[in-house]
Amino acid sequence: MNFCLYSYPKRILLALLATLLLSACTTNVTVNGEYPTALVSKQPLKVGLVLNESFRGYRFESEESQREPVVMALGESQVKLFDRVVTDMFQSTSTLSAMPAGNGQFDLIIALEVAEVQLAIPTETQLNVYEVWLKYNLKIYDGKGQAITAWQMSSYGKTQTRLLKSSESALNQATVSALRDAGARMITGFQRVPEIRQWFAAHQTGTQLSQRNPQ
Amino acid sequence: MNRIALVSAITLLLLTGCGTSTSIDEFRVSTKELELKGNEQIVVMGRRHSGEYETEPGFIDCIGDKLANNGLIKVMPEQEFLDGFYPWFEPRTAPLGLKRMGAALNNPLIGNRIRQLGIRYMIWVDGKTETSEKTGAMSCALSPAGGGCFGFTSWDKYSNYEAIIWDLKQLDEKGRVTVDSKGSSYVFAVGAPIPLIAQVQSGACEGIGKRLQGFFITQNTGP
Repeated sequence: MNFCLYSYPKRILLALLATLLLSACTTNVTVNGEYPTALVSKQPLKVGLVLNESFRGYRFESEESQREPVVMALGESQVKLFDRVVTDMFQSTSTLSAMPAGNGQFDLIIALEVAEVQLAIPTETQLNVYEVWLKYNLKIYDGKGQAITAWQMSSYGKTQTRLLKSSESALNQATVSALRDAGARMITGFQRVPEIRQWFAAHQTGTQLSQRNPQ
Repeated sequence: MNRIALVSAITLLLLTGCGTSTSIDEFRVSTKELELKGNEQIVVMGRRHSGEYETEPGFIDCIGDKLANNGLIKVMPEQEFLDGFYPWFEPRTAPLGLKRMGAALNNPLIGNRIRQLGIRYMIWVDGKTETSEKTGAMSCALSPAGGGCFGFTSWDKYSNYEAIIWDLKQLDEKGRVTVDSKGSSYVFAVGAPIPLIAQVQSGACEGIGKRLQGFFITQNTGP
């Protein structure tokens, strides 16, 4: 069948129909969740959180050939989560879209990147659950822009299939649960990273010394 | 004759089918009922650390409702507790034993909030409801003249849960309740489908909730 044999309006109609048919088979999810305030004491630090455009507008598109395509818009929800978490962890925070100049404006700079997203759906695993894995790269710099460390942080979320629950709603719930887990991982694991722990120890010593010797 | 046999078979199915059997075991550390003052409350939580299953949030809500006994016992909703104590009771971080719970309570932020909210007991529920593979076949058709289904299908459900009561004031275990519930569901159709669904999970909830209720004695006076 030669597509060019059709008249122009017919071609448009066919293209529209093909687009409709393809999009009808795609699972489209815009991740939308609420994240609670963390019950933690704030560190007395000024922190710059760098979330660039690619992080803010992040969309995951599955490349698995065996299943129907899945498109998940994660950006807005992950910005909401990390903004919340960092605000709860530190006394003063600013969210930036690019790396700031290392002029000592901040004590710490945290730059986040999405490293990997994976998902598993019941038709693949034969289990009654939707699962989502998220992996983030956290690059931590001191106030002068010197790299302290790069921390790869992974998280997991799942939701059981329910009667009458759409795959969109189940995937949203599993992703929100994975994001919530990412927040928990960041809060509980941040100061356990050896290089960050060392930096905190040195920073506290510095602060204590400067408090003792204000001149 | 055939019609009589069919009616008898359906009646038999109605009578014996979709029934559930529930067995409950209970262990109490002491025969004395657990004290719960007027300003104290209980939280019921589901275990979700296993990769293969999660204790269903709906089941936890159901136990909470049964335990509350129309408001006689104050029960904090699970999600409210999880949000209020984020991130310390998430699947990754929740204490699996009393030793870790003690360490969590030593964190002044967690300990103070538990005391402020008057959370005296924490009940952990672990388990799941499984559905066996369906047997039989049913097909439905729709035409301009009308529609209908024909066939027979059945499946079994099996629930197994354990609830453990922790006293957060004395930091010890006060008791356990284990429930096993199973039942078969059927759908048969000659024209319209007739479902006979076994209420396995709600049977387990009813059983575990009522038993947990029996552990507590409420006092409507202050401390």
